[in-house]
Amino acid sequence: MEGASYQRFPTVKIREMKDDYCKFELHSTDASMANALRRVMIAEVPTVAIDLVEIEVNSSVLNDEFIAHRLGLIPLTSDRAMSMRFSRDCDACDGDGQCEFCSVEFHLRAKCINDQTLDVTSKDLYSSDHTVVPVDFSDSGSGIENSEQRGIIIVKLRRGQELRLRAIARKGIGKDHAKWSPAATVTFMYEPEIHINEDMMDTLTLDEKKSWVESSPTKVFDIDPNTQQVVVVDPEAYTYDDEVIKKAEAMGKSGLVEIYAKEDSFIFTVESTGAIKASQLVLNAIDILKQKLDAVRLSEDTVEADEQFGELGAHMRGG
Amino acid sequence: MNAPDRYERFVVPEGTKKVSYERDTKIINAASFTIEREDHTVGNILRMQLHRDENVLFAGYKLPHPLQYKIIVRIHTTSQSSPMQAYNQAINDLDKELDHLKNAFETEVAKHSREF
Ligand SMILES: [Zn+2]
Repeated sequence: MEGASYQRFPTVKIREMKDDYCKFELHSTDASMANALRRVMIAEVPTVAIDLVEIEVNSSVLNDEFIAHRLGLIPLTSDRAMSMRFSRDCDACDGDGQCEFCSVEFHLRAKCINDQTLDVTSKDLYSSDHTVVPVDFSDSGSGIENSEQRGIIIVKLRRGQELRLRAIARKGIGKDHAKWSPAATVTFMYEPEIHINEDMMDTLTLDEKKSWVESSPTKVFDIDPNTQQVVVVDPEAYTYDDEVIKKAEAMGKSGLVEIYAKEDSFIFTVESTGAIKASQLVLNAIDILKQKLDAVRLSEDTVEADEQFGELGAHMRGG
Repeated sequence: MNAPDRYERFVVPEGTKKVSYERDTKIINAASFTIEREDHTVGNILRMQLHRDENVLFAGYKLPHPLQYKIIVRIHTTSQSSPMQAYNQAINDLDKELDHLKNAFETEVAKHSREF
């Protein structure tokens, strides 16, 4: 016996897409789905990050664990992460998590030999796998013309100081440690629907209109210089602060404007750390959410056990 | 030290079922599903999907304690359906919704990649 389907058919419209940034509209679904996607992007889409550090020599000013922590936070390109194994599930290296299926090895060797301070950066990390390397920000930030290619600074060394280490990067998720989160920020907002009561607005003087328009902390409304009418210039600038509504009330004009949040339309902003592309982050989140739903399906034996004992069993237990 | 185990939050312990089902002893067509190692992400979408089912009289979920990594989903249906049927239907519908969303998003990405 199959019940009727209550499936929804969401639609998407991408507004802006860059490697590490994506803004899109999501329609015809509800807040629970939008929030589930947001939560999965932040905490459950896997990446690769340094998880184990063996320090051979460290005569820098930072202690070993400080450096290990900084190494962990360096984003590594993680396009392979979805198909990689978690070390805890890996049977090729029985739990030690250092085999080729579940880890990537890095080496770092740096020594300062002159009076010039030496910056040890993510560019000094040598990977055993060319697909998993520290994220390169030099070409993505097209706004800043930087002739010198610089990575993420790990530590600075003065004359005679040395750092030598071996690091193991593993697959993980943000729920375990934030270093594995591929998301810098993921937010969504409800699309607002703004209705101005034009008849009431016409009763306002130009000065009243100006002071009302200025009562909004963000630039949502403006006055058309030709018609002197109040127009909505940017509905999405509205932060649901209610200031214009309070202002209208204070002016004795309650009902001047009505603002609703559309319950089935969302505007997402996704920023990636660079570990994976922002658009890929969304797609991976959809896959992960599907996998999670698949995992919570009832198992055969649970269904069978219920059919066997059914209502009778339940009532017997209940006494 | 008393540090909690690293994977305790998301790996189902051995010998424990991911989902266990228990019928209500007093009300017919009512049951609780205990889902191990899941949180609001799955709980809330399941609850909202169940609310779309007209045979579902009640659907709710709770996270009993932030340090107990499980949720409890409670469903009460009319005699036309059963908690198990509604639960399976909700998962199937969400799964299909995500398939649809994935296609929609991929189409948009392809469209945008061509433009630039
Ligand atoms: Zn392994």
